[in-house]
Amino acid sequence: MYSIALDTSAGTTVAVLKDDVVLAELNYDENMTHAERIGQALSDVLSKAAIRSAQIDRVVVGMGPGPFTGLRVGLAAAKFFALGANAELVGICSLDAIALSFYEQNPEAGALLVLTDARRKEVFWAAYSGIADGLPIRVVGPSVTKEENIKDFIDVDSLERTELLVTASALGKIAFSENSTELGANYDVSPIYLREPDAVPGKGKRVSS
Amino acid sequence: MLIREATEKDLAGIMALEHECFINDAWSEEVMHSELVASHTFYVVVIEEEKIVGYAGLSKLPGSNQADIQTIATQPSVRGRGYGRELMNTLNSKAKELGATEIFLEVRADNTVAQKLYKLFGFKRIGIRKNYYQPDNVDAFVMQTTINSKEPIVLGIESSCDETGIGIVRGNQLLANVISSSMEQHAIFGGVVPEVAARAHLEALTPVLDEALNKANIALDDIDAIAVTNGPGLAGALMVGISAAKALSVATGKPIYAVNHLVGHVAADILANGEVATPTIALLVSGGHTSLLLVRDLLTDVQLLGETIDDAAGEAFDKVARVLGLPYPGGPQIDRVAKEGNPTAIRFPRGLSLPKDMAEHRYDFSFSGLKTAVARHVEVLEDKGEEVNLPDVAASFREAVVDVLVTKAINACKEHDVPRLLLGGGVTANARLREIAAKRCAEEGIELRIPPFDLCTDNGAMIAVLGAQLIMSGALPSKLDFGANSTLQVTKVQS
Repeated sequence: MYSIALDTSAGTTVAVLKDDVVLAELNYDENMTHAERIGQALSDVLSKAAIRSAQIDRVVVGMGPGPFTGLRVGLAAAKFFALGANAELVGICSLDAIALSFYEQNPEAGALLVLTDARRKEVFWAAYSGIADGLPIRVVGPSVTKEENIKDFIDVDSLERTELLVTASALGKIAFSENSTELGANYDVSPIYLREPDAVPGKGKRVSS
Repeated sequence: MLIREATEKDLAGIMALEHECFINDAWSEEVMHSELVASHTFYVVVIEEEKIVGYAGLSKLPGSNQADIQTIATQPSVRGRGYGRELMNTLNSKAKELGATEIFLEVRADNTVAQKLYKLFGFKRIGIRKNYYQPDNVDAFVMQTTINSKEPIVLGIESSCDETGIGIVRGNQLLANVISSSMEQHAIFGGVVPEVAARAHLEALTPVLDEALNKANIALDDIDAIAVTNGPGLAGALMVGISAAKALSVATGKPIYAVNHLVGHVAADILANGEVATPTIALLVSGGHTSLLLVRDLLTDVQLLGETIDDAAGEAFDKVARVLGLPYPGGPQIDRVAKEGNPTAIRFPRGLSLPKDMAEHRYDFSFSGLKTAVARHVEVLEDKGEEVNLPDVAASFREAVVDVLVTKAINACKEHDVPRLLLGGGVTANARLREIAAKRCAEEGIELRIPPFDLCTDNGAMIAVLGAQLIMSGALPSKLDFGANSTLQVTKVQS
């Protein structure tokens, strides 16, 4: 089974996998150029993997959380790539991909706290108790709060932390593992925003004094 | 940079460049002169800072279906800016216009840069002429391409404001035009909220595409190309359509064309009337735009005469509706209430219409002062405990907006000697605008064209048909790296 995975919750990351083996991956760190990047990135990663789009069976997309405008680029692209390539579409929480990368590098590690920048002095976060059958076990989150308020939800001091970034390859691996567990893959693909649109109904104001 | 048809007067400038580019095998001045004046040839020059920095020529004999590219040259100092591509686009379009179905050219066997450019345009090597270039003893490759005369099936994606539109056309023919609007979600805010609009686009994409394909009764495989709006509009909203379109292009292998939203509104006329008769003045009025354009050629000569310097006309309707306690969107509500009112009851100001403003803003619009005047009128009466005559206020406000729009549009027609006016944008649904425009155009002998409403409001079909015009003119696809451009200039038809 060939998958193409993509995520724009932070930078732009794309990968092509055969089952859970990564054939090619491209990562761009900039967090303002998703719409410019995404088309060429998808095209380039397919070339690098020497796979044609028609061979792709599955599109895996990171659903966030992440800054909204960039996040939507990946979801919009994933939806139409899946339609165009006649592939199935699977959504994965982007923080889970960071957790997987951490546990791959630290197989003996215990509980983990994954944090990403949510702007406005807040963080997106999720806590994991460990890994089983290739899947990080998320126990709390994803959520958005001030970093100092996480302790209200979970014992922060007992958790390890990581600086790793989300990668498309990790998303692809999670989707493959989910498929082979009783969890099943997540076909309900919509962005994890965690915040309402930042708009309030305006009040009419007087123009004359 | 400007590309225009060459005349005899350009001979000296062309010859200077000819000697610079073709050191050993330049044409003589006599040969170049006869090429420039011949009736079966078409030469163009690239002008930069009033100097000729490139030229190219085409030959097409009457009655023949074959055209020949005679020469193409750009000054070494301007290479890498895409002028060669632009020249090729121009010659391609001309060859097609002259009825050619094949184009031939010769290229030096050692000029791989030029060969690469020609290959981009579909030229293939069909022969070799030994030692064709003298005195260098270099072979010529003969290359040929066939002009695609088939009417392309194009899928157009529009997401610049609060409408997710996907349309499908075959050449100039409309196959489907599906629009999903998030207007209701913006009602409580009294105006379009960009984040709300962008979220709605993402949700609407798949159902709108499915419905468009169903209506057109075609499969994605049948599509020849994808066109998408890349501006002007709300950046976050545009990005949803752009990202979806790019991914669809990569997944299906179909070429992509990034096109201008405002020029798309003009192109909508093709679907309504079979063509955009030119020259025409176009008045585009919506919740996001109020623009007056002079269109001499849809693809190569669209000029912005003026636009709003503050609120768009549709926005003014929304804001005034709120002042009057009417729901969003304001246009239809004000239209409804105004029916019973007297349009001359209150003389509201006509923005940028006084002589001092007209000097600098002849074709520009301003509606924020008008909105304030209406609000002040209402507040003064309410403070005095007097009743506000809603129908009169609505009718008088509407009259002020329509008066300025139509007056400036008709001025533009008369002052540019253009006998046509095309309306576009969602505000064309306004009954009074249609009525006054029809009346005054008839008085001035100006032909008025208003496409049906679902082609006037933001829609994907207008984007698709603009893409189809580009393809039929021989334009190359856009590169995949374009982004959303919220202030895209109207002169940039394709990005």
